[in-house]
Amino acid sequence: MSQNAVTPREALTRLGASTAEAIAQVLEMFVPGEVQRGEVSVLPDGTTPFTNLPFGAVATSVSYVDGVTGANIFLMTPVGARALASAMGVAPPVPGDGTASEAAPQELSELELSAIGEAANQMMAAAANATSVVLGQEVEISPPETRILDDPDSAVEIYGRAPHSTSTTFVISGEACRLIQLVPSAFVVRMARAIDELSMEQPASGEGNQAGSAGDGWGKRNDHDAGSISLHEALSDINLRVWAELGRTRMPLGQALELPLGAVVDLDRASDAAVDLFVNGLRFGQGHLLVTDDGEWAICLETVAGTVPTTPHGVRALALENQMKGSD
Amino acid sequence: MARVLVVDDAAFMRKVLGDALASGGHQVVGEAGNGAEAVASYQQLRPELTTLDITMPEKDGLTALAEIMAIDPAARVVMCSALGQESKVLESIKLGAKDFVVKPFQPARVLEAVSKALA
Repeated sequence: MSQNAVTPREALTRLGASTAEAIAQVLEMFVPGEVQRGEVSVLPDGTTPFTNLPFGAVATSVSYVDGVTGANIFLMTPVGARALASAMGVAPPVPGDGTASEAAPQELSELELSAIGEAANQMMAAAANATSVVLGQEVEISPPETRILDDPDSAVEIYGRAPHSTSTTFVISGEACRLIQLVPSAFVVRMARAIDELSMEQPASGEGNQAGSAGDGWGKRNDHDAGSISLHEALSDINLRVWAELGRTRMPLGQALELPLGAVVDLDRASDAAVDLFVNGLRFGQGHLLVTDDGEWAICLETVAGTVPTTPHGVRALALENQMKGSD
Repeated sequence: MARVLVVDDAAFMRKVLGDALASGGHQVVGEAGNGAEAVASYQQLRPELTTLDITMPEKDGLTALAEIMAIDPAARVVMCSALGQESKVLESIKLGAKDFVVKPFQPARVLEAVSKALA
């Protein structure tokens, strides 16, 4: 490893941050404007992340099944779980109509639990995709499993212990939720190595930034030495691959193999049409090509993720060499 | 209008897909909760179209797709799976799927994929 190698704590923080970002984006699709992300806390090694677990917590777990190992558990209060299911179009059970338990009408129905499981499935699929970008390797997930947890001991019994864990808080429709990640040591090593390989030059600054001490089991934790940094801080210095695409075409494999030197291949775009700017494989925006004073290509952005930039000139220019500085 | 087999391990998603298909005048003739059930149901029901999730217990959607295509090379299958699993698109298409719908989706997108697959 290089002298500036990413520490396990930094790797865990970035894993938690990228996962939280992906999860928040999916949640936002279900409950627009009702999702708040909290901080990512890297818990002290060997501690249980299930302390202060309220009675009746709804836990949906998804594991990585290929490429890497580890578990992700999304914990919600029963009220929060019902709110999420309702936002997904599942009405609460009505006593007497056969969908609610007469003994415990507040219990979640099978359809509500299924909706919550599906939400977790979609959240973790997006998170696995984000992780696979960092690792440079596809990460697959297991089907979700949803359980009702009564106490921390039962959570430990079900999910086991891991050498490392993170905790990230969310608020959905006013109800606090928590994402717990149980992370094996081998995964941390791979994450650290992968982040190193992405040419990360400055490790995140999270030392000494203590999590809150007035933990209630959801929005805040009691761990006195759990480090935490903001998502923005955790993600802001990650280098991404950025490239521009002039146009595309399609042709049979046989024709491609027989292209002679000097062949002219027509692309699907006019010479004065906007080109696409991609960031880590996602189309980030569009703009027009320019040549800088240094003779390098640049792209003058006109739209970014469906919006128009609001810089003084309405556009922002990014210098491109074939790929931007920091990409590989 | 088509007779459709809906395969997803989440009852919630089967309901959402069923509602979307019904809004387009299609008939859900069967449901399955995993890949093994999907293959068995396909053999029994011979639907005109199948929607197939990828991440499922016991037998995943890609394995089920391969088995369904082995049973009926003319099977019309639309894959339906979560955001971030687009890498499975190519594999699905290679195996014979007609289209790929990414969750979460709008009903119109499901009906568009079904129409394309039936065309």
